[in-house]
Amino acid sequence: MALRSAQGDGPISSRWDGGAEKADFNNKKKKKVAEIYQALNSDPIDVAALRRMAISEGGLLTDEIRRKVWPRLLNVNTSDPPPLLGKDLRQMSKDYQQVLLDVRRSLRRFPPGMPDEQREGLQEELIDIILLVLERNPQLHYYQGYHDIVVTFLLVVGEKLTTSLVEKLSTHHLRDFMEPTMDNTRHILNYLMPIIDQVNPELHDFMQSAEVGTIFALSWLITWFGHVLSDFRHVVRLYDFFLACHPLMPIYFAAVIVLYREQEVLDCDCDMASVHHLLSQIPQDLPYETLISRAGDLFVQFPPSELAREAAAQQEATRTAASTFKDFELVSAQQRPDMVLRQRFRELLRPEERTKDVLTKPRTNRFVKLAVMGLTVALGAAALAVVKSALEWAPKFQLQLFP
Amino acid sequence: MQLSGSARTAEEDFDYLFKIILIGDSNVGKTCVVQHFKSGVYTESRQNTIGVDFTVRSLEVDGKRVKMQVWDTAGQERFRTITQSYYRSAHAAIIAYDLTRRATFESVPHWIHEIEKYGAANLVIMLIGNKSDRWEERHVLFEEACTLAEKHGLLAVLETSAKESRNIDEVFVLMAKELIARNSLHLYGESALNSLPLDSSPVLVAQRPSEKTHCTC
Repeated sequence: MALRSAQGDGPISSRWDGGAEKADFNNKKKKKVAEIYQALNSDPIDVAALRRMAISEGGLLTDEIRRKVWPRLLNVNTSDPPPLLGKDLRQMSKDYQQVLLDVRRSLRRFPPGMPDEQREGLQEELIDIILLVLERNPQLHYYQGYHDIVVTFLLVVGEKLTTSLVEKLSTHHLRDFMEPTMDNTRHILNYLMPIIDQVNPELHDFMQSAEVGTIFALSWLITWFGHVLSDFRHVVRLYDFFLACHPLMPIYFAAVIVLYREQEVLDCDCDMASVHHLLSQIPQDLPYETLISRAGDLFVQFPPSELAREAAAQQEATRTAASTFKDFELVSAQQRPDMVLRQRFRELLRPEERTKDVLTKPRTNRFVKLAVMGLTVALGAAALAVVKSALEWAPKFQLQLFP
Repeated sequence: MQLSGSARTAEEDFDYLFKIILIGDSNVGKTCVVQHFKSGVYTESRQNTIGVDFTVRSLEVDGKRVKMQVWDTAGQERFRTITQSYYRSAHAAIIAYDLTRRATFESVPHWIHEIEKYGAANLVIMLIGNKSDRWEERHVLFEEACTLAEKHGLLAVLETSAKESRNIDEVFVLMAKELIARNSLHLYGESALNSLPLDSSPVLVAQRPSEKTHCTC
């Protein structure tokens, strides 16, 4: 329990300094907490509402709520007993040495004030959980950075729940990162530049001329930013968001960070090293709520299915087959429209908003289409996400790249 | 020292820019070596490297301003397809092993092979045995590293300790000198490079036993 208090709760409370604003924030927070509990207590549990809460401002607010809601978002039954640990797991596992090396030096991921003894205990648990999930799922391959994800769960939900949650996550959201090779991971990174191109062609072209590639975003993607953000509250806020969304959402969020830093990038020398260096040093004071909301917007405007062809073209191989699999259609048939996103988009459609917030490149007019297709995508996709990995969502022609 | 990665303007003046890739098995101390080179102090490893990272530092070598751009890489095997693409533009490679873990030394030929396969021809390669502060746990003899270096025609072997600040700057200064020398040779054309007798025996700098600092096998 000391652990929980060390991390603090309200993820955005520090932003509210003024008295009136603070009162307003507290009211909002109180209201949101009530809504979350209402969704949790309804029968059946209102998972769609929980997703909405996880995405909207402040996310799930406290670790106490996260412990209740994260399992729901992953469709994990918390009353099932956790898988048991075999005693000789450490001797048997081919990954043990690597996991041990990575966990031992993962000091940065634990709260600064935590006593060594407590931290070491958690590190041992971390090793066991990772080995257990790998043992139970021989198709999954450990990668450096996986422990950054697992430790986040361990610090929030504790050892017992972590195994089940991480197992589910690993066989779904993270599965592409856990293939025998990194081909699928690289392919997901290929979505980054097409998203940037849709919003800011100038920035895209600059980055292309610098030949910066996308490796600066690799650690962001495969650790869900756990590896690069020092404030744990920011990490869990992002996990709320990603757990509620489509498995490709982290790459949209990566794009939004690059877009947010447009001016810095354009001011940089146009060479690979300078741009890579700038981008890989992630600023610690990002306006997370704004960026989360932008990432959601971009996802709705430029869903993966629309970017798939461009992403595939980033690879040497070019395919001509057309996409027939429209994930957003499939998904909107299964989920109610989401009011939070809908309202935000209405605002976005207002002309003054459009000039203020450059979300789309001038040569495309996507707003009409948006209104037609509804705004369920970012949320709706997530309902199915627990049974899909990121690439399964991609159109079929693209999957042929990786037989 | 004078330069940081983002420093610009007047500090941009330099005579040479060398790109060096730092490779080797996981947890041999690559990041600590490069951090020490950059900042002059040892910071305990707080996490692994994912993908690639780079650091810049300017050195003054024989009156020339040399900018050293060091690309630090992830050691886990599955990241190799990613780090390979950074070999091509490198002028030199430093292969690191942990002298307390023999397996990391045994992978060195494999890393040399990677460089030969993906790097430019005539890449300068140097071998460093890190963690020499833990000499009592040594599992790789310096002589073995010398033999390996000679066999593969590497520039040098040094035993280093990021923790005790041993030989870190030496690695990079030695590398810079060699690269400057090779670069100057190129001014006279490729033929000069072949005709001039380049010292083919590696420079060998041990950490322990302490009396042995330079040995030419």
